Amino acid sequence: MDKIKVLIVDDEVEFATAVAERLEIRNFFAEVVDCGRDALLSLESSVPDIVLLDLKMPDMSGLEVLKKIKEMHPEVEVIMLTGHGSAASGLSGKELGAFDYMMKPVDFGELVETIKLAYKKQQRATTAD
Amino acid sequence: MFFFDFFQGADRQGGYMSFRIALFLSMVAISLVPGYVINGLTYGEYKKLLKSDERDQLLWSAQGGKKSLEVCVEECKSVVRFISMDYTFEELLDQDVASELFARIRAEYEGIVDLGVIDSDGIQRTYAGPYRLRGYDYSEQDWYHKILARRMYVSNVFMGYRKVPHFVIAVTNKLPDKEEYWVLRVTIDVKKLEDAISGIAVKEVRDIFLVDEDGVLQTASTLHGKVLGQYPNFSLPGSKKDGVITVLEESKGGHEMLQATIAVEDTPWFLVLVKEGYVHGKEWETFLRRLRILFVISFVVVLVVVYQLVNSLTDRLMDAEQKRQAILTEVEHSSKLASVGRLAAGVAHEINNPLAVINQKAGLMSDLLELSDDFGQKEKFQKSIDGIQGGVERCKKITHRLLGFARRMDVSLEQIDINDLLREVLGFLEKEALYSRIDIDLSLDEALPAIVSDRGQLQQIFLNILNNGIDAIGHDGAMLLETRQSGPEMIEVLIKDNGPGMTPDVMRHVFDPFFTTKNAGEGTGLGLSITYGLVKKLGGTIEIDSEVDVGTVFTVSLPLEQTHEAGEENG
Repeated sequence: MDKIKVLIVDDEVEFATAVAERLEIRNFFAEVVDCGRDALLSLESSVPDIVLLDLKMPDMSGLEVLKKIKEMHPEVEVIMLTGHGSAASGLSGKELGAFDYMMKPVDFGELVETIKLAYKKQQRATTAD
Repeated sequence: MFFFDFFQGADRQGGYMSFRIALFLSMVAISLVPGYVINGLTYGEYKKLLKSDERDQLLWSAQGGKKSLEVCVEECKSVVRFISMDYTFEELLDQDVASELFARIRAEYEGIVDLGVIDSDGIQRTYAGPYRLRGYDYSEQDWYHKILARRMYVSNVFMGYRKVPHFVIAVTNKLPDKEEYWVLRVTIDVKKLEDAISGIAVKEVRDIFLVDEDGVLQTASTLHGKVLGQYPNFSLPGSKKDGVITVLEESKGGHEMLQATIAVEDTPWFLVLVKEGYVHGKEWETFLRRLRILFVISFVVVLVVVYQLVNSLTDRLMDAEQKRQAILTEVEHSSKLASVGRLAAGVAHEINNPLAVINQKAGLMSDLLELSDDFGQKEKFQKSIDGIQGGVERCKKITHRLLGFARRMDVSLEQIDINDLLREVLGFLEKEALYSRIDIDLSLDEALPAIVSDRGQLQQIFLNILNNGIDAIGHDGAMLLETRQSGPEMIEVLIKDNGPGMTPDVMRHVFDPFFTTKNAGEGTGLGLSITYGLVKKLGGTIEIDSEVDVGTVFTVSLPLEQTHEAGEENG
């Protein structure tokens, strides 16, 4: 089975790199970008399976990035990450097509489980096509 | 209750007390004074009326008495006049004729003592009667001279030769063909007058008698003794034919003696009636008694009515004030919660990002450690990392609660059976309660209607309160959950514990954020604050009643339906 490709979009680089490294240890393929624009640029060159997307970033908001991702690649599953307790933004994220939203600091085990669930959903969707 | 401390202030209480008293007194005055003024006026007017009425009555009685006395005297006079006209002087000089005449008159007219004929020299020529008075010389007597001056004469009462009080009626007749006069004299017993007087009926009269112009009693008086005694209070009525009223004595209690004096025409007498004022009379007493009863009844009625009125008025005022205070406090509380909430959310958000970094870095370290070969300090490293992660976990709990406290959460409404929900919540706590040896009993109203509310938030509410109770009890205790319908649109959940209870001071602050009685590090002081916010958001109220060493009761009231847009805004 191919490695699950995960793109981590977070301006908190230390967080993003640590998560990326831990995912790689667990046999994922992880890439890190620190802003929304870079995320969209990276999407042009290679399409990941899953995107971990921070809601709050300096250049553009997570929701905007989410919209763009879904426009470009509707098959990509996005998991929103937020340090804010706003369920409203999480929910509107879900309405915009995000797979789920999680609150920072996330339990790593849970994160991995969620990624796997999102991947399974994506696989089902693509095979069904 | 939660708002128990309003109106505890001595000032406020005192203020209401003096307000109450002032209101009470002024209302009593307003309602009683006019009545009593009218009462007083009536009293005075009635008294005046009674007084003038009794005077008039007394005068009428006197006039009536005078009339009947005049009739009585006139009767005697006409007898004498008749004899003097029917018999000549010569005929009457015959003792037999005189005696027979006397016997006839006596049989007809009571009270006639004797009869005499006196010639122009003042010698009694004929006498018929019980005494031996024939031949008596009256020429020196005062009345004889008075007779000669008048044709008809009625004397004062006197003793005379007979030693019995009597009066005389005499008629002077001219001898034919001479310038000389003879006198026909009839003596009448005072009893005749007294009988006439006793026939005069006067209500409540004390004394009734005749006096002459010198105040000498002409008939017996009840108060002043026998005939011919002196009556001290006499004063001439003057020219008034209808008689006069004089007040004899008056004392503070309104006791007075009224005296009516009236001249009896063509006699030397004055009729005197003495009578007590009506003030002693039954009518007056009855009137006074009624007045007093009315007075007392109206006083009592006014007192009771005003008391009730003032009470309900001040209660309402106090109630309104209390409600105002309650709303103020609630607004204050809510805004406090709101600002604290915003602050907490800000802090939590800022902390969550670095926490996430620490968490992932520590996780990474742990991962790397697992992948590396054993080295001397590996185990210690692992322990340190676990410590860091434990710390992060604790921080996360706090920040999540803070965010939960501040979060604008969407309310998802559904039909909920509160009884089921409570059983469910108890399920979470069973182990904890068992471990702490706390009995949790249920007293659920199975007929409780379902409510429309948010399940998750209700769970949170009851979980928080129950947890709070379990923490408060510590171990070995009991809790009781009760449900009931408290109104057409409300249900109530009561959570009672027999824990240590709270002081009023603690109770005041129990819903304040960050207020905790637990040791530092054990409680966030957010549990009940969040609970308070949640209950408000669901359109309910939460009240707390607690007594130290007895226990605490939380009462959560919830509406059957969500009327307002739930979850619109929350601090």
